[in-house]
Amino acid sequence: MHPLVETRDLVKTYTLGGETIHAVDGVSLTIERGEYVAIMGASGSGKSTFMNMIGCLDVPSSGTVLIDGIETGDMSTDELAGLRNRKIGFVFQQFNLLARTTSIDNVAVPLIYAGLDTATRRERATAKLIDMGLGDRLLNTPAKLSGGQQQRVAIARALVTEPLILLADEPTGALDTKTSEDIMAIFEELNASGITVIVVTHEDEIAEHAKRRIEFRDGKVIEDHAVANRIIAAQREEMA
Amino acid sequence: MASQPADTSLAPARRNVFDSWGVNIAIALTALRTNLMRSLLTMLGVMIGVFAVTLAVAVGNGAAEAVTETVNRFGSNMAFVLPRPDDNQDFGPPRRTSERGRLTERDLRAIENEVPNVLAVAPQLREPLDIEVAGGSTTTQAVGSTPDYGVVTSQLAARGRYINDTDVASASRVAVIGQTVAESLFGDSDPVGQKVRVKEVPFTIIGVLEEKGSTFGDDGDDTMVIPLSTMRQRFVGDRLPGPFDLQFAFVAFQDGYPLERGKEDIEKVMKARYRVQEGDVSPFTVRTTKEFVEQTSFITGILQAVLVSIASISLLVGGIGIMNIMLVSVTERTREIGLRMALGARRSDIRNQFLVEAAVLCTLGGTVGLALAWTVGTAVSTSYDFPVPVGMGTALGAVGFSAMIGLIFGGYPAVRASRLSPIEALRTE
Repeated sequence: MHPLVETRDLVKTYTLGGETIHAVDGVSLTIERGEYVAIMGASGSGKSTFMNMIGCLDVPSSGTVLIDGIETGDMSTDELAGLRNRKIGFVFQQFNLLARTTSIDNVAVPLIYAGLDTATRRERATAKLIDMGLGDRLLNTPAKLSGGQQQRVAIARALVTEPLILLADEPTGALDTKTSEDIMAIFEELNASGITVIVVTHEDEIAEHAKRRIEFRDGKVIEDHAVANRIIAAQREEMA
Repeated sequence: MASQPADTSLAPARRNVFDSWGVNIAIALTALRTNLMRSLLTMLGVMIGVFAVTLAVAVGNGAAEAVTETVNRFGSNMAFVLPRPDDNQDFGPPRRTSERGRLTERDLRAIENEVPNVLAVAPQLREPLDIEVAGGSTTTQAVGSTPDYGVVTSQLAARGRYINDTDVASASRVAVIGQTVAESLFGDSDPVGQKVRVKEVPFTIIGVLEEKGSTFGDDGDDTMVIPLSTMRQRFVGDRLPGPFDLQFAFVAFQDGYPLERGKEDIEKVMKARYRVQEGDVSPFTVRTTKEFVEQTSFITGILQAVLVSIASISLLVGGIGIMNIMLVSVTERTREIGLRMALGARRSDIRNQFLVEAAVLCTLGGTVGLALAWTVGTAVSTSYDFPVPVGMGTALGAVGFSAMIGLIFGGYPAVRASRLSPIEALRTE
């Protein structure tokens, strides 16, 4: 069976002030179904650029990205939009919820682009919010939610189209330690249920929740191995 | 938190058109509410534009209506004969010709006898005359004619009597006056039988004309009818080229009889009388109510086009306002656009979202502008003697047009939004 994510000699270059910068410099790796990967690196290491490319948000300068065995380089912008909609769920550091919009309507946004009718959208959005423990926050706008609640709405939104991959870019960057642990517990649970989780982070503590750790420096992978002493957030929560 | 395999739960993206429009309208309304003041000011521009264009169209339609009404005030199936060389020029002063214009009572009698389907002919001599009574005086457009004038203009005596054949034969100093003249000279008292002096000549009022009303600010009741012979002998005879000459004549045809044929027949009779050769300029001119309507409609059409063009400038400015504010809106919401793209929005989804927002903005503004134009139009129609009709067609046109302005001027910002790169948009702070 083909890997879920595969990159072949992936390169992304920018030109800045006449100087060419290799943000990602020839990265080839594969991520299988059910993996829980932490992508590490200092800022400017290329980890975010790499994530944007495997999330089909950014186009490589050269090399290829295959998602679920499908070559993405030849896809039109509309096909890429469809791929993001159905196979990838995004979680961002700043949550990126629509202001003045209820939790349900925020979670239902991807379903609009999936072409579902209003009733089905509301039904599925509600179910996902209940899964995230937000059954009593369905009609709240982001301004009426805590940071942790907002990030859980964002996770519900990422999951509402039942994607294969959850891509999280510094998902706990704007949260306190306790809330971060809650979010990591959710990721572990999701991964246990079969979703492939890829987390971009610069914090070791967050990375230690993952099963595999890939470290970037200067656009290249310098380290790629299984996490030895994995922290299980859910367990720790129980112990506390 | 069980997760099913992805592809089976999601049908391919088939989209319900009405549903996605509904979503876009909801997004648009939220966005407009968010920047309420800005939205209202932008709408104001479109509102003023639609208001101006709608009123311009209505004024043009009102003018056309007034023309039809003026024609209907006289019998509508009528030809006019003028003692003016026919240079086939519809407008402007007559071209200089060696020939003097001619039209006499004998010509008219020939027309009455020889042209088929003629209902009545009414010769005319017209002159503004001063009328004096003990208590005051007034000036009115007097018409010297025959009893048929009342038939042709369908304005007979409401009180007293109309001029008759005897009055014409004996050149009596009698007059039938319009209601406006009656009021200004006699107030509430009965004018019939009263003595007046018309340009120092003593006259007797024998009747008051039926009320005609006014169109286009032309008061149909500010008039006086006296016998043709009296007008000739007392007031205008010395200024006419011959003892039987006329200034004007109405030839009324039977209802439904084609005026083109009536006109041809009149011209044939007249050309024979004046021995007009092929290619010569006739010393008379024949026009019909139909031509009058056509020519006047042409003028009112030009008037309307000019008014609408000027008003359109304000709508154009309103449209530019829309484009400006939509560009601001796109810039402000770049991050939202990036997010929507990340969540699966296609370029067309983003484009439609902003197009709908612009169209909603314009349609709301346009509807208010239309309502305002309707109010003003109705107020003018009722308080002044000029119809300004804002009809259903105008209304639908106005709202449709403002939505179109939204699509045109919202188009560039919307396309610009849809062409953003997802990652660039998401990175925007």
